[in-house]
Amino acid sequence: MMVIIAILALIVGVLCGLFLFTDNIVIMFDSISNITLYILMLSVGIAVGGNKLILKKMREYNLTVLFIPFGIIVGSIIGGFVSAFILNMTFADTVSISCGLGWYSLSGILVSDLAGAQAGTIAFLSNLFREIISFMIIPIIAKITNEYTVIAPAGATSEDTTLPMIMKYTREDIVIISVINGMLCSAVVPFIIPMMYNLLK
Amino acid sequence: MTVIIIMVIGIIIGLKIFPEKWHKKNQHLQVVCVAILIFSMGVKLGSRDNFLKEISEIGLSSLILAIVPILFSVIFVYILTEKYLKKTDVKKHEGEIEE
Repeated sequence: MMVIIAILALIVGVLCGLFLFTDNIVIMFDSISNITLYILMLSVGIAVGGNKLILKKMREYNLTVLFIPFGIIVGSIIGGFVSAFILNMTFADTVSISCGLGWYSLSGILVSDLAGAQAGTIAFLSNLFREIISFMIIPIIAKITNEYTVIAPAGATSEDTTLPMIMKYTREDIVIISVINGMLCSAVVPFIIPMMYNLLK
Repeated sequence: MTVIIIMVIGIIIGLKIFPEKWHKKNQHLQVVCVAILIFSMGVKLGSRDNFLKEISEIGLSSLILAIVPILFSVIFVYILTEKYLKKTDVKKHEGEIEE
């Protein structure tokens, strides 16, 4: 159900952006999505706070939750290398793009500066796709793997936009891990993109 | 950062004052918000100056650079968490609320 809503919202949004909305309306969507995100986070917070089991649960976890961002970053780097073979692009380009971890606005800018406009546009689109695809596949990942792995596709977005999807298909205590993961991934992205590019070029 | 602060405020509200009976409504609110967010993403994407040209030229490359890193992230996190993190058998299905 949620996935159908997501796909419909995406398609209608793209069509509106293409054919219907003027530039002025499109600019308004920056504030609309910001405000919506704030409302959403307040609502997610309320759901987390309303669940009395979470604090108890959190004590059971320790540093092992760090395996999740570690796995995401290593997986994304290797995914970048593999993509270079598929797409016949340089490692420097593909790995720096895949290290965006879904943070499309930042990685678009960073990769543009490092590798040019074309690679920057790919970085923007592919990381936006990462976020959108995460929305779509979270229910499937939740079914076929374990509940921690649900965080993996979301990467740096697991602390905000994809968080309610993760909560819906796992449990509220996974939400806390998801927020920690998103913060760590987001902290890493600004460093790892230039690092990987300079290392591999 | 703002997002995290707002979430913490939400947690406090949820802990202290939010009535139990409104939790279902709170869930519905999340669905509406997610739909608006994805719609906004679509608008941003569709309104890019050369969107159709971009999509036809680099759409496939971008898609592959999304899917392959996702795939490997999932594989690595799955292996690591299966090995090192305690598993729980609580499974939630779509639409279900935890008791």
